[in-house]
Amino acid sequence: MKVIVAIKQVPERDAQVRVDAAGKWIEESGFQWSMNESDAYALEEALQLKEKNGGEVVVLSAGPERVGSTIREALAKGADRGIQVESDGLGDWDALGVAKLLAEAARSENADLVLTGLQSDDLGYGQTGVIVAELLGLPHASLILHVEKTDAGLTVKRELEEGWFQSIELPMPAALTIQSGGNKLRYATLMGIKKAKTKEVRKTTPAELGVTAPAVVTLNQIAQPKKQKTTQMLSGGPKEAAAALVEKLKTEARVL
Amino acid sequence: MFSLHSTLAEPAGFQLWEKFLFSALIATSAWLFWQRFGVVLKKIFEAKKDADFRLAPLGRRVWDFFSEVMLQSKVIKQRPLPGLAHAFVFWGFCAFALVTLNHAAVGFGIGFLSPDGLFGRFYFYFAAAFALTCAVGIAGLFVRRFLVRPRWLGEHLSWESGFIAFLIFALMVTYLAQFFVPEGSTAVHVLWWAHTLTILVFLPIIPHTKHLHLVLSPATVFLSRGGFSQIPPLVGDEDFGLIAGTDLTQLATLQAYSCVECGRCTEHCPAANTGKALNPKEIVLGLRGYLNEYGPKGEEPLLGKYNSQEAVFQCTTCGSCEFQCPVGIEHLPLIIGMRRGTVNTGEWDDEHGAKLFLALERGSNALGIATAERDKFIEKAALPLFDGSQEYCLWLGCMGAYDPKGREIVADFARVMRYLGTSFGVLRKEKCTGDPVRRLGNDLVFQQLAESNLEAMTRAKVKKIVTICPHCVRTMAEDWKEFGVAPEVEHHSEFMARHLDRLPKATEKETVVYHDPCYLGRYRNVYEQPRDVVRAGGTLVEAERHGERSFCCGAGGGLAFLGEETGERVSHVRAAELAATGAKTVGTACPFCNSMFRDAFAAQGESAPQLVDIAQLTARRLPEVTTSATQ
Ligand code: SF4
Ligand code: SF4
Repeated sequence: MKVIVAIKQVPERDAQVRVDAAGKWIEESGFQWSMNESDAYALEEALQLKEKNGGEVVVLSAGPERVGSTIREALAKGADRGIQVESDGLGDWDALGVAKLLAEAARSENADLVLTGLQSDDLGYGQTGVIVAELLGLPHASLILHVEKTDAGLTVKRELEEGWFQSIELPMPAALTIQSGGNKLRYATLMGIKKAKTKEVRKTTPAELGVTAPAVVTLNQIAQPKKQKTTQMLSGGPKEAAAALVEKLKTEARVL
Repeated sequence: MFSLHSTLAEPAGFQLWEKFLFSALIATSAWLFWQRFGVVLKKIFEAKKDADFRLAPLGRRVWDFFSEVMLQSKVIKQRPLPGLAHAFVFWGFCAFALVTLNHAAVGFGIGFLSPDGLFGRFYFYFAAAFALTCAVGIAGLFVRRFLVRPRWLGEHLSWESGFIAFLIFALMVTYLAQFFVPEGSTAVHVLWWAHTLTILVFLPIIPHTKHLHLVLSPATVFLSRGGFSQIPPLVGDEDFGLIAGTDLTQLATLQAYSCVECGRCTEHCPAANTGKALNPKEIVLGLRGYLNEYGPKGEEPLLGKYNSQEAVFQCTTCGSCEFQCPVGIEHLPLIIGMRRGTVNTGEWDDEHGAKLFLALERGSNALGIATAERDKFIEKAALPLFDGSQEYCLWLGCMGAYDPKGREIVADFARVMRYLGTSFGVLRKEKCTGDPVRRLGNDLVFQQLAESNLEAMTRAKVKKIVTICPHCVRTMAEDWKEFGVAPEVEHHSEFMARHLDRLPKATEKETVVYHDPCYLGRYRNVYEQPRDVVRAGGTLVEAERHGERSFCCGAGGGLAFLGEETGERVSHVRAAELAATGAKTVGTACPFCNSMFRDAFAAQGESAPQLVDIAQLTARRLPEVTTSATQ
């Protein structure tokens, strides 16, 4: 069973984000990057499928040179080889454009399964994986927690609202977007890192893949949310004050 | 019939057949000795070389040898009575070396110490004095082993030990008796043969039993790595720690064969004393068993038949074992080495362990909390940021930055520094020093953390660090060495002790029992400074086990982050011991100890003593300031 996992490199979880001068992207210098969380779960699912059924896990990522470190990380955790679509200018590509890159890079691999994380931790479109499926003409399901290979194809566990789950059967090949938390992630090891050094990472470019998608969706501006602190004193006795508080929590803060 | 002569009686001469018999017996005894000793020696030499071994500093080695071997300092200090008995036996042996050589030479008619000569006469008396103390010593040890029977010598009576004791005793008696038998009598002859046979029986027994330490341990002490819990760097791309026999180095092999099975390590081990599978003596003997069966070229995993993964991960790295061992065995590089072997290859499957590793792979702290929480605390406690102009970088550590009690300790220590007018600042970004992953054997994450912190410090131009956490101190000062030079670092107890004369004295003295953190005491040799700090604010009382024998709180070695312990909780045992002193207050000097006892005392309820860090003890005496905030 050959599984392709598309992963994205995103700013480290605790990174302090600043908007760059143009106001269209974040200031990248001095930044630490890591693997998008739900992609890490997609990778884990792929590795477990391989451990159970044999086969190969290929990681695929698009981005500038720095993305190579995240591919290495995936190789260190047990993926067999990597494909990097290298380009410095993907920052303002929309989900469709990136999906085209990933789909084209994946196409010739003829994988049995294409996995991605549900959404990225930075932009959070939640579309890329689904569009890739569409472009490759594969059946797909999203919000997947667990994948099992059956004789007929796949049985997957999908997360619904309020603690409900759905079990779906799909034929193979297929594409799935994986939800965080379905598995326990494995930790990276020194041995894995050393082995990863000798694993193959094939590099390609958007031009080589023949993708020059002009963005359909353009990003105008990004901004930090404004910090606001407003203190309101509620008057009256405990009873009235409590009532007023509940009202405000409902209508103004909208947390109830 | 028997009377004391002015000197010892030697046989006048031997028949030719006696000389032949003697030669044959020597050859047999030596051959039997070599049968085993040669094998052991071969295993030691066949083992992998210690890449980090340096003979320098020679002075330290010579001193250790002199003090620990010749003077038997450790043996005596840690177990005075049996230690002294052992020392007498040892000194007796040393004094006997010349006598024994001469004894053999006499057999061939070429004795070189004349009982009538000035030196000979002196020396025979000299040796006799030692023979006497040696005989008393060995009799004492015999009584201890077979009648008193301390638990840590093991449940089974070792008859071979009894037999050896008998032989040593016989050696001394047959020597001393030579002063009493008439010269030229058959008795002289018989005694000579009795003495000879005892020696020749004794010799081959040495390498076949734990008495191998007679031959090996002087070398083990001399060659030991020296530094406490010194974890050797991994060498090359194929080294992941101790996985199989092929990873055991010459030092490890030498140490495995040197163990004298005295059980001192186990006697002091918090794990072994609270019903866990771990027993440090068995770790060493397990390696020996492995080497006996598979040898240093063995491909079988070390964790399996002879040592268990469970035991290896129960170690708090308190270091009591390594500190106690009289023959220079270094348990921690072995235990941590085996952890490395399984963690670096991904073999260790532990839910809590994996969570910790992932938290430190992806985040900045061992508690897995968002760094924004640290920023909030810094703001709330009004801690200045380090900008290169201040004297100290106040290192928060994971506990100081994220744990509620740890934060209180930091805030109080900051008050002390402010009061003293010492300038300090905290780093905007700080990552875990890597202590828990270092001790758990995750070299990948440890290296990442060490390098990233070292880089941040260089960038910020940090010159001096002070911190409330002994684990941070140790890791920065020693373990980071592999990756760069850390700024000078000290523990807050050292800092406060230096400035005590400028801090207000206590008006009312409460009783305080001080708990030595392993990483401050045994690891850093800091025992007095925190006590001075306590004394300035209270009346110091000592727990039964204190100083270099302090009993662990149970948190070290990454165990604070792992799941529930089996058996009794180490922290509860220690907390009860501290409470038993009757002291009103327990003074700690490590945020991990503090958090372990916090839980232990919470289980005790009302009657529990109050628990404060020595920085808080000090801060209490400072005049109130309005600007300080804690939480
Ligand atoms: S370091 Fe402490 S816990 Fe570990 S084996 Fe030695 S004595 Fe036991
Ligand atoms: S390891 Fe050292 S302390 Fe432990 S039993 Fe052996 S010789 Fe004694």
